Amino acid sequence: MKVTFPHMGNCWPAFKVLCTGVGAEVYLPDPNNVKQLDAGLKHSPEWVCFPFKVTLSNFIEALDEGVDNLVMATDCGPCRFGFYYAVQERILRDLGYDFKMYYLPQGDLLDFKWIKLLKALSEDKSLLNYFRIFRTARLFLMKSQLIQTVEKLEGKIRCYEVNKGDTTHTLNKCIQLIDDANTFNELNKLRKRIKNEFDKIEINKRDNNEILKVGLSGEIQVTLDPFVNHDIKRKLGELGCEVHMNLSLYDWIKHKFHVNFHRKYLEYLNKSQKNIGGLQMDIGGEAFWVMGEYIDYAQRGFDGFVHIYPFTCMPEITAKSILTKWYGNKYFDIPPIFFGFDEHSGEAGLITRLESYVDLLKNKKEKKNNGNGRK
Amino acid sequence: MVMAENREAEIDKNDNLYLGIDVGSVSTKFAIINDNMELIYSTWARSHGSPIKSVQDGFKEMQNDFIDYESQIRAVGTTGSARYLTKALVGGDIAKTEIIAHAVAASYFVPGVRTILEIGGQDSKVILLENGIITDFAMNSICAAGTGSFLDHQAHRLGIPIEEFGDYAKRSKTDVVIAGRCTVFAESDMIHKQQMGHSKEDIIWGLCNSLVRNYLNNVCKGKKLLPPITFQGGVAANDGIRRAFEKHLGQKIIVHKNFLTMGAIGAAMLAREYIEINNIKTKFKGFNVGEMKFTPKAFNCTDCPNQCEITYVEQDDGTIIARWGDRCGKWTL
Repeated sequence: MKVTFPHMGNCWPAFKVLCTGVGAEVYLPDPNNVKQLDAGLKHSPEWVCFPFKVTLSNFIEALDEGVDNLVMATDCGPCRFGFYYAVQERILRDLGYDFKMYYLPQGDLLDFKWIKLLKALSEDKSLLNYFRIFRTARLFLMKSQLIQTVEKLEGKIRCYEVNKGDTTHTLNKCIQLIDDANTFNELNKLRKRIKNEFDKIEINKRDNNEILKVGLSGEIQVTLDPFVNHDIKRKLGELGCEVHMNLSLYDWIKHKFHVNFHRKYLEYLNKSQKNIGGLQMDIGGEAFWVMGEYIDYAQRGFDGFVHIYPFTCMPEITAKSILTKWYGNKYFDIPPIFFGFDEHSGEAGLITRLESYVDLLKNKKEKKNNGNGRK
Repeated sequence: MVMAENREAEIDKNDNLYLGIDVGSVSTKFAIINDNMELIYSTWARSHGSPIKSVQDGFKEMQNDFIDYESQIRAVGTTGSARYLTKALVGGDIAKTEIIAHAVAASYFVPGVRTILEIGGQDSKVILLENGIITDFAMNSICAAGTGSFLDHQAHRLGIPIEEFGDYAKRSKTDVVIAGRCTVFAESDMIHKQQMGHSKEDIIWGLCNSLVRNYLNNVCKGKKLLPPITFQGGVAANDGIRRAFEKHLGQKIIVHKNFLTMGAIGAAMLAREYIEINNIKTKFKGFNVGEMKFTPKAFNCTDCPNQCEITYVEQDDGTIIARWGDRCGKWTL
């Protein structure tokens, strides 16, 4: 059985092991790219959000390669994402493809409906198979945790690198290492290996006062996929910002298993700001936690906060409006900046805004450090 | 080529001079200032497509007057959407975004400024400052409604020169409502109102109002615009828009006499600051840049399915002075 799933940045090794672990063969679509995207754009509704278009393009590419089993995640959250797998299935059927669509219900992972998916993906129907399924789940968790480690290190280290491009190189190498390791033992050893790989990067440690610490958060697909967000993490790093990011696949999975205490804390922060308009409930997307992150980074004395979301994403735009108001009214002293992404490929506006934003943060920081700006 | 020149101060043999270049989507601006921040020379010209050519034309223009003072140029700053290309062309010292350049110049020439409204050819921005430091800014990200190009286009359609736009707006007697959410709607609304028999004057005033409404709702959404407010960029020449801003904001809008070249002046100021702090010499190639030969070339990278279009600029001696256009960053120079 040949299976495919859409890309979400560097998360593919984790999804891959979810399929190979139970004995399915995986076709991995090319990383998101302009050429592939054409088909997705052509067949997507105009107003749907960008992640829909990208994932649809992944499916079309795989179907053209002769894959006939698709896996798509779904949610029962309040945003449109819950319907994506169903709409995509109809669009693809209308295009004349013959396939079977599996969905990964991740509304609440503790109801263990995901076992059904893994059972469906494996051809072995014996009782022994349950053992394999849980082994696969554990491999998936370990890999996604390692990916999280790699992505966190990447964001923090890039602004110090001496040779431009080293960090990206190491990142890609580590992701490949994670993909190659397929036993618990190997994965355990990788933890140290990854640290070593990143330690090998030649860095130029600078004064703490000079480095800008920026928090990055937003809708999960947009934040994790460098194609979708025009590599904003790299661009921020190259402009000299230490990028901190808590969002990751592992973070999300933990949240869905109800053991993500960091997110619980972010929810608490949000709820505690009730009198100035903090959200009181999950309204879809990542809005609830994005706002929590903003408060958290503000309290921890970060310099900036970057919020990215798919253009037309209702929940994230709600968060954007509230954050703009908070900063304008000086409830928090950390300037937020917002980027909405869609199919456009021109980067001039994005770069202008990013550069100006980094300059803004620099001036602000210098003023804080020595009492006068721009010197 | 439409040119507007401006000289405010006399040049002195002992002055240090700083050159700022602002290459935007529609026009190219040059400014030379001296140590006392006096404007020695500034010029504004429409750029027709190629930024390389417009920069070179500007240099040819300056060469006559300033070739003797070439050694006095201490720093060169570039800004605008073609800042990196220009920096590579002329041997600039820094390239800063137009947002920073406008803010720096405005906070010097309009002391205590809190809000800068900047509307140019292709984009519109709002910049908020506090004690001379930028605290927030926003830029139109999705829609080009309300920028100079659209006004230009509409003036052309109505058959009046863009320079007289403000006068027409002033003569209006009644308010005509025109949809401002989108230029497509605005245009069809305008045509409709024209067919209904409204005068050109009223329609133009209505257009000014709708563009300002759109700008305030989209770009300035959720931001507090505190006085003093200045209005800069090419569209500030349009008195109708200024008056529409005053009407909607209920504040006096200051238009500084150098509103057009403010970005270039800011770039010169930033270059000066950069040179002084780091105590280095300028990389300026000299005024003969106008006569050098630069050839822009392009190829498609085929290393991955993205197939990025890589563009680069070759100098006459074959060295590549600038290269970009890739998503992954491996070609960028």
